Amino acid sequence: MERRSFFKICAKGTLLIAVSPYFIEGYLKADDGRLFKSFNRVKLLDCYGNPLKEDILQEETTYVFNYPYASTPCFLIKLSEPATKEIRLRDEEGNEYMWKGGVGKDKKVVAYSAICPHQLAHPNPNESFIGYIPKEKKSMAYKKGGVIVCASHLSAFDPKMGAKVLAGPAKEPMASIVLDVDEDGVFWANAVLGPAKFFDYFKSFKPELKEFYKNIRKAKKLVSLGAVVKPLEIYSKEVVIY
Amino acid sequence: MALSRRDLLKISTILAASTAFGSEHSKKDDDIKKSVSSYGVQNAPLPKPKGPRVVIVGGGWSGLAVAKYLKKFSPKTDVVLIEKRSVFISCPLSNLWLVDLIDLQFLTHDYLQASQNNGYIYFNATVYDIDRVSKKVFTNEGVVSYDYLVLAPGIDYDYEEWTKGDVELETKLRGFYPAGFIPGSEHFTLKRKIEEFEEGNFVLTVPGGNYRCLPAPYERASLIAWYMKKEGIKGKVVLIDENPDITIKKDGFSSAFNELYKEYIEYLPGSKITGIDLDKKRVVTDMGDEIDFTDASFYPRIRGSKLLEVAGVAKDSAFNKKEADIDPFTYQSKEDPYIYCAGDVRPMGFSKSGNTANSEGHLVAKIIASIIDGKEFKWDSPITVCYSAVSGEPIRAISVNAKYAYDKKKKAFTFKDASTMENWKGRQGIMSGKGLLEWAKGMYRDMFM
Ligand SMILES: Cc1cc2nc3c(=O)[nH]c(=O)nc-3n(C[C@H](O)[C@H](O)[C@H](O)COP(=O)(O)OP(=O)(O)OC[C@H]3O[C@@H](n4cnc5c(N)ncnc54)[C@H](O)[C@@H]3O)c2cc1C
Ligand code: FES
Repeated sequence: MERRSFFKICAKGTLLIAVSPYFIEGYLKADDGRLFKSFNRVKLLDCYGNPLKEDILQEETTYVFNYPYASTPCFLIKLSEPATKEIRLRDEEGNEYMWKGGVGKDKKVVAYSAICPHQLAHPNPNESFIGYIPKEKKSMAYKKGGVIVCASHLSAFDPKMGAKVLAGPAKEPMASIVLDVDEDGVFWANAVLGPAKFFDYFKSFKPELKEFYKNIRKAKKLVSLGAVVKPLEIYSKEVVIY
Repeated sequence: MALSRRDLLKISTILAASTAFGSEHSKKDDDIKKSVSSYGVQNAPLPKPKGPRVVIVGGGWSGLAVAKYLKKFSPKTDVVLIEKRSVFISCPLSNLWLVDLIDLQFLTHDYLQASQNNGYIYFNATVYDIDRVSKKVFTNEGVVSYDYLVLAPGIDYDYEEWTKGDVELETKLRGFYPAGFIPGSEHFTLKRKIEEFEEGNFVLTVPGGNYRCLPAPYERASLIAWYMKKEGIKGKVVLIDENPDITIKKDGFSSAFNELYKEYIEYLPGSKITGIDLDKKRVVTDMGDEIDFTDASFYPRIRGSKLLEVAGVAKDSAFNKKEADIDPFTYQSKEDPYIYCAGDVRPMGFSKSGNTANSEGHLVAKIIASIIDGKEFKWDSPITVCYSAVSGEPIRAISVNAKYAYDKKKKAFTFKDASTMENWKGRQGIMSGKGLLEWAKGMYRDMFM
């Protein structure tokens, strides 16, 4: 990427903080940074390194990319119907924020941090206990499909509604990734909205992160240019969801 | 459900007015002060609290969650966790360790790490008395004052039904044939027994009442049988069950008993033990069975920890003796508004599992934080997610997932949204086996990170 466009991107990144429309006035301490934080503006890429466009995404498939750090997995899901707009959500401490909805042609595409807000289960290269259950399927965690399920302690989240908790021990929604689609139809990740668990994640998974990323410093590196999006079945050797 | 400040005041006046209660305690208090001071132990070496002090007794599955989340929900609160053990050993998954499917490191955790990560004080001491008038907890390491007290000390065994007060028999049962339901040396002895077992009957029992971890005796029977089968040991597990049938995940366990361990498990439901002769190594049941055994682990009935009685907040529940006498929605003692009880000591008929105790710990933390900060709180059901292994290599497991709802007519809690996965065969059983390990790792993270 040439220097000029790189700067342009950075500028866009900062702009987002200033105009961040994602919190509900009066509830979110604006300088808290916990419920909304912009990170590098990062282009999503397909498995071949090409900019990711909507038509290659299969509906109701769980895709994973790492963002905003080199080791923090996120889900990208194209739902079978448009996501609901402007959902008010609360974190465990009761702070409110607003999830704006899906992006893409029919507002069906959503992205969430794939670290479970309950006790941090997440996909790693070996296995994943968390993922999306298609509409016509069912899981032990919830009576219906079309939900994200964490099989670790059976929490279920609604991807149509900002990943709000539907069932199980989780007390707050999964954090969402703020996406946009540029004029060429390419997806970008910009920020994290909601109760992100990165700090706890880095603290809790030191041995695992060393195993997969050599050292903690590399695991904590911010993703800067592009993030490759892979189907969950490829990202993790084994998907254990029931 | 919130208790207002006025209510609290009201209750404390009632307490002060109760003279019999007051005088009894101040006398006891004097005695204790004398003996404590004669050893030169006075106040525990703890810094002066900077906010309201909540003392939690018992760093088990429930106490650890209360300590962490109370500090999180109400940072100004000074939280002290008093725990007699210096190392945490997990009862959940210990059955897997008994037969070498996981190592001991998986089960052991560091209390200091938990307190470092979560900003509370871990005080390694044993509580032996509580004075509710002066709000003091007496430990072998000195006296700790509290504003609020949480009792989460877990269970004790109740051998009465078998021993009828014969303490010699009780001492032998505890010492030579421990139950293995309170972690520590009991589990080490049990593991040694399994490893050294050569042939004959290995007796295990399932008590009546609402005993700790409903599926664990069946899981243990399955895994010992699995081990015997794998090692070619000429023996079998004789599982004497006081209950009329397998108490939970029945389809899963009974199909495992029948299909995997026909030669290795003899299951005797609806059988109460009427006699134990340790010299002859023979057990007699009310069904007329006489069972000779080579070795055994006797799991008696359970009761609430004796500490509740010491504190004067215990009452027989519908299931067990001397459990916590609390309001089932606020966990507040009916005797004393400054005391809360959580975990396996609760009198409600919830499954006495680590998952229940942990989710309840979150709730009790929220309740106490709300009271301290003068906020409202809403009751939420504890959650029971419980996996049980039925065989190893690969580990296969079954599971249950349930919440509770209060049935006003029956005046009792019943299961809500309960589901089970009892098919240990095929890929599903193996996935649940992995889920079992992942469940535990998540729980340990919740308690220690
Ligand atoms: C073999 C086995 C298998 C199990 N399997 C599962 C499972 O798979 N899943 C599941 O969810 N649950 C399982 N359980 C149940 C689970 O272990 C208990 O339900 C849970 O530990 C209850 O938590 P608690 O906090 O009430 O008590 P505990 O965890 O027992 O904690 C009580 C703590 O208080 C301390 N203490 C007591 N008295 C004092 C005192 N006077 N002073 C200071 N400290 C004191 C004790 O040392 C202890 O650390 C199993 C239990 C067993 C034994
Ligand atoms: S870690 Fe996801 S439900 Fe517990």
